[in-house]
Amino acid sequence: MNCIECQENISPYLDGELDELQAADMRVHLSICAGCAKICEDFSVILDTCRENVPSEIIPPNSQALWCRINNLIESEIKPDLIVEEPVKRGFFSRGWNLTFSQAGAGVLAIALISSLLTVVGIRNYFEPSREDFTSRSAASQTTFEKFLSKIGLTDTPQQAREKRVKEQQAAIAYWTNRVQERRGQWDAKIRDAFDRNLNLLDESVSEYTIILQENPDDDLTGEMLDTVLTDKMDLLREFSDL
Amino acid sequence: MARVLKNRFSINFVGKTTILLLLSVVFFFAPTDASAQRRFSKSYPATRNVRLNLLNRSGTVTVEGWNRAEVQIQAYMETPAAAINPQIIDGTIIINMVKENFGRGEVGNVNFTIRVPFEAKVDIETKIGNLNVSSVRGALVRAKISSDGDITLTNINAQMVSAENGIGNIFFDGDIQSGGTYRFTSISGDINLRVPFNSSFKLIATAPSTRSINLGSFSTANMRILGDGRRVAGQVGDGSSSLLVTNQRGSIAFIRR
Repeated sequence: MNCIECQENISPYLDGELDELQAADMRVHLSICAGCAKICEDFSVILDTCRENVPSEIIPPNSQALWCRINNLIESEIKPDLIVEEPVKRGFFSRGWNLTFSQAGAGVLAIALISSLLTVVGIRNYFEPSREDFTSRSAASQTTFEKFLSKIGLTDTPQQAREKRVKEQQAAIAYWTNRVQERRGQWDAKIRDAFDRNLNLLDESVSEYTIILQENPDDDLTGEMLDTVLTDKMDLLREFSDL
Repeated sequence: MARVLKNRFSINFVGKTTILLLLSVVFFFAPTDASAQRRFSKSYPATRNVRLNLLNRSGTVTVEGWNRAEVQIQAYMETPAAAINPQIIDGTIIINMVKENFGRGEVGNVNFTIRVPFEAKVDIETKIGNLNVSSVRGALVRAKISSDGDITLTNINAQMVSAENGIGNIFFDGDIQSGGTYRFTSISGDINLRVPFNSSFKLIATAPSTRSINLGSFSTANMRILGDGRRVAGQVGDGSSSLLVTNQRGSIAFIRR
């Protein structure tokens, strides 16, 4: 299985819709491809969060019929297009440029925006950091341009990104903890002990790394390890929730 | 006098006989290791590059390569005996002990001994228990333990190898193929990797807690020590394969073969 096939199958895989063989292929690919594993994990976090946050608003019993009615109303309010005679073309330069001041201003702004976006893409590609160590991005490996963007608030700093990710992981962990609590009563003592032992060890690592990061928020290696143990914790909970 | 002696003798005799009988009953019904196990054994004709997918709940799994186009599955089930139902789908042998025994509560250990052709792909997983794979040279060897257990991979020659456990040791003894991917991760335990001296790979080895990363004779000038000794990254030889080793609370050691 390659990365494209894997990413196409992530959603059915998480929903348990793949057959045994495909699921096994997915597991193998996810265990060896860090990129796809990350995508799968992010997807899983989103799904878990969605499952947790059940929408508060009530969906109407026949939402399709309601949409049809709204659509009919909109269509009935649209006036038929007036047939306008096309003016005789007088050539490019002789055409009248009757622009208002605001229209001209908007045009200039649009051109400026497009050119700056092109510049951003160009510079970004030019200064892309080397990935020879295939380690995760850190403050140290940020380009000057990225640092500038994060300073002016256009992108997250590595610390902000990490905090956001930890929050997502904690939400998923809370979901799987509930699932495990539902099943735990059926486990025998041996399984319970092994689970608790591993969970305690992971929790110890989480607290150690959290303390180190509080003292030194720029310690990217610890940030990466915190991410790894939180993922390990999520995996442990998920894997024991089906027992 | 003779009558008294006779009565005493008969009482003693009856008492001893009763005790002996009771003891024999107790020993007869007492469970022994041999009688508490149920055995499952089945062989399947297979292609040389057959794939084995096993997901166990608890117990030891041993997979050995052999020179036959056949897969032999032997399982010893402790009481309460688990249900087992291997399936063959598209040339893959699938054994899913979690699915087969879902909602059954207490299920005893299931210890597997599986023989596969040398070129087989092996993908085994368990919640608790040891995993051993030996003499396999297929495209893939994957072993995962969700919690406690050791992983031992010996005489392996595969392009993709992944070993992952919670609490327990990992030992790998095998070749590093050009273009291969090798990943070893543990939460707590020791990771020992025995590879040929002429192996070439890109390495990232991380042991944040112990900082015990011993590269042995693979320690070259191309290696960099990062994060105050918590990580070692670099290249051995032409770096044609990638090796990722992470041990949260244990050591990492390389042994030259």
